[in-house]
Amino acid sequence: MMNLAWVVPLFPLGSFILLLLFGRRWKQRSAYVGIAATLLSLLWALVVLVDRLGGSTYEANWTWMTIGGVTLTVGISVTALNAWMLALVALVSWLVHVYSQGYMAGDERFSTFYAYLGLFTFAMLGLVLSPNLLQAYIFWELVGLGSFLLIGFYFYKEEAKAAAKKAFIMTRIGDVGFLIGMMLLFWQTHSFDYDDIFRAVGDGTLSPGMTTLAVILIFIGAIGKSGQFPLHTWLPDAMEGPTPVSALIHAATMVAAGVYLVAALFPLYEASHTAMMTVATIGGVTAIFAATIGLVQTDIKRVLAYSTISQLGYMMLALGAGSYVAAIFHLTTHAFFKALLFLAAGSVIHAVRTQNIEEMGGLWRRLPWTAPLFLIGALSISGVPLFAGFFSKDEILAAAWTNGPRLLFWLAVAAALLTSFYMFRLFFLVFSGKARHHEDAHEASASMVAPMFVLGVLSIASGYMQTPWFGSFLGEWLTDGAYRHEAAPGWIAVLATIVSFAGIFLAWLMYGAQKMPRDWLSARVPYVDELLRRHYYIDDIYRLTVVSLVSWISRLLAYVDRFLVEGLARLAAGIVGAAASAGSRGQNGQAQTYGAVTVAGLAILVVIFALTGGYWL
Amino acid sequence: MTLSAYLALALILFCIGLYGALTKRNTVIVLICIELMLNAVNINFVAFAKYGAHPSVHGHVFALFAIAVAAAEAAVGLAALIAFYRSRKTVHVDEANSLKH
Amino acid sequence: MSGTDIAFFLLALAAIAGGVTMLQLTNVVHMVIALVMTFFGIAGLYVLLSAEFVAVVQVLIYSGAITIIMLFAIMLTRHHTDQRERQTTGGVWHKAVAALSVIAFGLAVYFGIRQLDFGADGSALSGDNAKAIGKSLYSYYTIPFEIVSVILLVALIGAIVLAKKDGKGAEDE
Repeated sequence: MMNLAWVVPLFPLGSFILLLLFGRRWKQRSAYVGIAATLLSLLWALVVLVDRLGGSTYEANWTWMTIGGVTLTVGISVTALNAWMLALVALVSWLVHVYSQGYMAGDERFSTFYAYLGLFTFAMLGLVLSPNLLQAYIFWELVGLGSFLLIGFYFYKEEAKAAAKKAFIMTRIGDVGFLIGMMLLFWQTHSFDYDDIFRAVGDGTLSPGMTTLAVILIFIGAIGKSGQFPLHTWLPDAMEGPTPVSALIHAATMVAAGVYLVAALFPLYEASHTAMMTVATIGGVTAIFAATIGLVQTDIKRVLAYSTISQLGYMMLALGAGSYVAAIFHLTTHAFFKALLFLAAGSVIHAVRTQNIEEMGGLWRRLPWTAPLFLIGALSISGVPLFAGFFSKDEILAAAWTNGPRLLFWLAVAAALLTSFYMFRLFFLVFSGKARHHEDAHEASASMVAPMFVLGVLSIASGYMQTPWFGSFLGEWLTDGAYRHEAAPGWIAVLATIVSFAGIFLAWLMYGAQKMPRDWLSARVPYVDELLRRHYYIDDIYRLTVVSLVSWISRLLAYVDRFLVEGLARLAAGIVGAAASAGSRGQNGQAQTYGAVTVAGLAILVVIFALTGGYWL
Repeated sequence: MTLSAYLALALILFCIGLYGALTKRNTVIVLICIELMLNAVNINFVAFAKYGAHPSVHGHVFALFAIAVAAAEAAVGLAALIAFYRSRKTVHVDEANSLKH
Repeated sequence: MSGTDIAFFLLALAAIAGGVTMLQLTNVVHMVIALVMTFFGIAGLYVLLSAEFVAVVQVLIYSGAITIIMLFAIMLTRHHTDQRERQTTGGVWHKAVAALSVIAFGLAVYFGIRQLDFGADGSALSGDNAKAIGKSLYSYYTIPFEIVSVILLVALIGAIVLAKKDGKGAEDE
């Protein structure tokens, strides 16, 4: 079945095209098209995955075009990683499709929403099947397009418009790095194919310096897409999009594409110690950096957005520390519990019609399904034992301890503490305490609860694929048996557990039981609080430096354009126009004018021949 | 007198005729300027008949043919002029401008 | 300077003067008369060129027939003369282009012909060239001669057809 893996992305594409053509007529029924298409994709992807579980890598290439001596190919590649991602993306996408039916109900552009979701799913599935960098790049950009369209879905809102543009531009900055890195690799190896590039690294065709440069450039692309520091600012703003979109694109799949890319090129990164250190450092810094900002956010989705950035930082840290398996494992569990958290947050927003957590409270009883599911997600992300997040985070911490610098390990531990704190701050603020005038708040429809329920189960169960106790099935499969569990000291798991419980306890003290004043810290160090509330002034710094510089340059160029370029264009147009009007004046029906022109031509010819001496010279 | 003197004279007359044909407004004058150009050509024929590489009477014959054709042309041209005048009440070339675009 | 040369210069002067006068005059009838001078001058040149027969034909056809028919045309078409009326077409540009082209053409050709001389002298043609032309026309040039007569016939009929008043036009007159 693996040779038919290319069919998987085609279902969402078909759904996209169908909905684009007939969506207006089908209206609310559009959802069934999208759901059916992604369900087919999911089933097919699962078949491929099962096939791959017992088989070996399948790769097929077709010639796309030949330019000189270079042949570009397109194809599919079903490696363990790709099959895994394929199933993961299809699953989350399907769940989000189902969920959106309830969440988006009544929206005027309901069918457009499903069409965009189809486009995005197609692109994402295509991305994880790509056997070469060029194809990956194409789908990478398509994914960015889907993200852009969906962030700006409520385009009549100024913030949504601005956020969509910001996301597009910020990721584009990263993509330029990706493109340059890709070109460098192609220049050196004459191939875009992953396998060829890996071979080139192996046999020394690719010099170490060039490898480092190229992979760091590609990593910049991953930074942009995965919202890593310093290109992370678009991701919190992207929460202007509909909540299911945040769950699918900006939590579970697209932002994980950066991690996937680094993982797919992992042999290349392994060849360069500098690159590994860069990845680990960026990841570690991002993890703690975003976690601290998450502490003070008041918008439920923004808290989750910063949490996403932080968790992606974890994955990068794991990759940088050399633990490919830990990164993919965390990617998987994160996809489940973060999608769950977002969908639950969507359900909350749906119920109370606000995103400000300070206006929420006491929703535990009103949302009997959402609240426990949110709790499961929060426990999972906090790394409470027996939940999925615990195992994957533990794996990352172990990898950071054994392979990474000590500082990054402690940063990761601190980020874990902060994670559990802000997640439970969120939980207590939203669900506990007194209900604040949300008398009509009620649980959402079954189509919204059911996907959350599935994700809730997976948020617990997915952890047991890779545990210190029951063996490391995922790792062995991903690495074709070469995987061995890191012999990390046992105290790391204990430490992680303590840390997560400490965070939860602290949050309970402040927000649950309210034994501790909320402004306990912010009152003592107000400037830190301010710093965090303003996201470390990163946006302001960008506005003052990059944005003002660019707008200054563009104003200058606008003048150049208006007066120089346009002047030249007008000159050219004027010359043509003058010639044309002169020519048309000649066409006046006057036989003598025609005769004069004819004689003038004859005279010119005669003079030329007289001067040159005739034809033969 | 040498050949080139006659040819130069013919050239001058031809140029006068050409200029007149291109600029005069009255159709009769345009036609008569064309006659002048034909005359200039006839001078060449006859001059070559005498001073050409092979003097012979053939040049005269050709001059006569040209005169005959010129006479025919003048007759037809003037007939056309009369017809034009009858329909447009003018003999000016620049008002015969409906054949355009 | 021989008598022939003087005659050439006088006749050439007459021919060119006729042409230039024609360009300068404003009255159409005067212009035609000026050209008659040119035609006569050319006829004289034909005599100098030992082509008496052609000279006579020139006088008959051009100075006589064509001039008269032109004058008839002028009389037939011109009901009222306005001397102040523009005599030339177009603007300054039109005239400038025409003049420049004609001058450039004339100069270029002039540089081609000014040294042309074959050194031959066909003075022997003089005297009985009418006989020679007649022989030539009826032997060597029989077919062209017949064709020219057809052309003249066609032109005659064509001219009649063109100039004939059609029924509707006649009523308008």
